[in-house]
Amino acid sequence: MMRRLALGVFLLFFCATAHAAPHFPVLTGHVVDDANVLSRDAAQELDQKLMEYERGTSNQVIVVTLSSLQGLTIEDYGYQLGRYWGIGQKGKNNGTLFIVAPNERKVRIEVGYGLEGVLTDATSSQIIQGIVLPNFKSGDMERGVVDGAQAILEVLGGHGVVVSSSDNHASTVQSVLGLIMLILFLSFAARHPFIAMMLLSDSRFGGSSSGGSSWGGGGGGSFGGGGASGSW
Amino acid sequence: MSARTWIILAIVAVVIFAIGGINTIPRLEEGVNASWAQVQNEYQRRSDLIPNLVETVKGYANFEKQTLTDVINARASATKVTITPENLSDPEAMKKFEAAQGQLSSALSHLMAVSERYPDLKANQNFIALQSQLEGTENRIAVARRDYIAAVQDYNVRVRTFPGVLWAHIYGAQPKQSFTATEGAATPPAVKF
Repeated sequence: MMRRLALGVFLLFFCATAHAAPHFPVLTGHVVDDANVLSRDAAQELDQKLMEYERGTSNQVIVVTLSSLQGLTIEDYGYQLGRYWGIGQKGKNNGTLFIVAPNERKVRIEVGYGLEGVLTDATSSQIIQGIVLPNFKSGDMERGVVDGAQAILEVLGGHGVVVSSSDNHASTVQSVLGLIMLILFLSFAARHPFIAMMLLSDSRFGGSSSGGSSWGGGGGGSFGGGGASGSW
Repeated sequence: MSARTWIILAIVAVVIFAIGGINTIPRLEEGVNASWAQVQNEYQRRSDLIPNLVETVKGYANFEKQTLTDVINARASATKVTITPENLSDPEAMKKFEAAQGQLSSALSHLMAVSERYPDLKANQNFIALQSQLEGTENRIAVARRDYIAAVQDYNVRVRTFPGVLWAHIYGAQPKQSFTATEGAATPPAVKF
């Protein structure tokens, strides 16, 4: 009886708050791929990179893809999401959200109060226009997200925005190397299946899950609408 | 008065004290003042961008003189109108502030609309950077305004309802002015040629 009552009160409260504010996804890590635009490997790799970046600098950079903006503009949704999650450390407000809404075709870099001086509106806009949108327009969402996040980290680290118009050559070299590695690995696996399994499970599951659980989530930072948006 | 009346009065006083909280109104007022300071900061930030913007645009041959003059004049009159925390209850002061900043908003959005007609200007790196800074600042203004509206609402509800109204009477606290313009007013008006 009491439990049911408590549940009722909880639901009532939940409905009341859900009505007042948009519904926000759960902050599960440094990459929240609500719209499923990233492959599992890319999401994990990016998550790992952003986690290490936070360990080194205490700056929180979160990549989030949204399946819906719920009728709000991305500017309106962005700062509220940042505040709701409390991205950035309390008092330092050193958080940044990289938001992609593929269904509305909108993208935004939302910068916390404390990072506005480094990641300015102009550089945020440069990253979006020069790095993110060209990839989105050509249909490579994943690369746009990964390269955009990388550019954000570089700018926060004191570097300028480097817009590379064509590094297709590098990427073909990379994929050829990847293919060779894969063939070598498969031939190795055919001879020693047990060792290959151990290698796979160790790098895939062991590493990432222990990393994910040690993260404390948002640090209580706040946002004031700085950053830039774009659409494609 | 009998001892019993005193006891009842004391209990009533304690209850009001407990519910109302003697510190609530000053605390909420501080919230209003802080969010107002943020609003003025963001408007100041916009104002600071304008000289650079005007300088950049001026370099383009036969750019509409009138548009630039409007922006310069609107900026000059907007910087004259500021509101100190003590005047936040004054509806006239707020109206003046809104009018001055609104004028500047529309002059600026007209400037940005006109600049669409100058392809060279639109390709200028300096102009592109200024444009994104201006967009970011307009967005910050919108956020700061919304925060201010929320802070004023918290404060005014407390000042106008029991038991806060009793404390408000003691402090002489007045309801604060909120923004009257709707959010739609912040979006640039459509310019037809």
